[in-house]
Amino acid sequence: MTKGGTRADFDHGRFATGLARGFAGALLFALPMFLTMEMWELGFYIDRSRLLILLLVNIPLLVLLARRIGFENVSTWREALRDASIAYCLGTGASAFVLFLIGVLKIDQALSEMFGIIAIQAVPASIGALLGRSELGTQTESSEDEKDPIGATRGDGYGGELFLMVVGAVFLGLNVAPTEEMILISFKMSLWHALAAISASILLMHGFVYALSFTGGHELGEDTPGWHALIRFTLPGYIIAFAISLYCLWTFHRLDGLDPTQAIVVAAVLAFPSAIGAAAARLIL
Amino acid sequence: MEKPPKAGNIENRKAHWIEWATGAVSALLVMILVGWIGYHAVTQGNGPPDLSVTIVSSAGRAQGYLVMFDVENTGDRTAATVVVRGEISAKDDVIETVETTLDYVPARSKARGGLIFRNDPEGRSRIAATGFSEP
Repeated sequence: MTKGGTRADFDHGRFATGLARGFAGALLFALPMFLTMEMWELGFYIDRSRLLILLLVNIPLLVLLARRIGFENVSTWREALRDASIAYCLGTGASAFVLFLIGVLKIDQALSEMFGIIAIQAVPASIGALLGRSELGTQTESSEDEKDPIGATRGDGYGGELFLMVVGAVFLGLNVAPTEEMILISFKMSLWHALAAISASILLMHGFVYALSFTGGHELGEDTPGWHALIRFTLPGYIIAFAISLYCLWTFHRLDGLDPTQAIVVAAVLAFPSAIGAAAARLIL
Repeated sequence: MEKPPKAGNIENRKAHWIEWATGAVSALLVMILVGWIGYHAVTQGNGPPDLSVTIVSSAGRAQGYLVMFDVENTGDRTAATVVVRGEISAKDDVIETVETTLDYVPARSKARGGLIFRNDPEGRSRIAATGFSEP
């Protein structure tokens, strides 16, 4: 809190509310994962280097997320870093709290198991903590307008859109990636099903953002043809969702020993929810 | 259209060349993806799983002899609940049978498992897949 203001105008009540909101967000967004059996088991057997990579990748994601949608008034990278570390800490805390609460973790367990389980769950929980603090909080319209990317440089705006899709894809993707259903579905599907899944994902992504006109301010102008948005936003969004699906599956050991074509089919299955998450994030965040 | 599109909408601004470049690369990747799956969908058969077991390692342990094996499926369909049985025979009698089940052996992929024998399997064991179900 060095940059936030002097000691005198530091509002303890407000800070506590912020922390509580973050904790609530972590619970709200990560509870489905806390209660997933595969996630507990992954905590035992996940390759520690893959876990480390996941934990490290989460840091820039959180910092960028804090910078982009952030807690109340994030204007510097330093504040974004502060908020990201608070969110990571809250996520870890929420993860440990719930896992002990439901009896998955016990005091006499081996430390490496405990750390593994808590750490892996802390990733979605920390994203939830950041989202919770900004989305559950009451933001005034004026501060919203200030952050509207109208004033931002063009590259920033486009990069920002892609980043939101990353967040959305990570969020929905992480939720289902560890479950056995993902590989089971891919084994049940033929390659024609996979092609249909890819087409459906792209169509739904495009439809979500442009055809349904939810409140996200993505209406296309008269002189902007639909295929412009398809090439510039939807297809990159799908590639993002697909790449993140591959990464999640690799992290959770779902691709080990798998034939490349089969691996692509699993990724296409997971890319379906990830793509919808990516599209939804552009509307919601 | 109750409200006109905002002038500042990112879609309606003149696109930077980077946006088109990203879009073009993405379109290419999607086409490769679809092309790859489409090619395999056309050329690939739909035959049943074809399972073969190869022994990876064999070592004595305190509780017995651990034999690690790979099950390879060269068929076009995935096998689920693959039962792998190991037998040790001396002369014409089977003196020990152990069994394990692998959850999945995906099409054209491998899965690894282990069997634990009480007797030394060296040179007189036979490990084979004995059954599976379709997922």
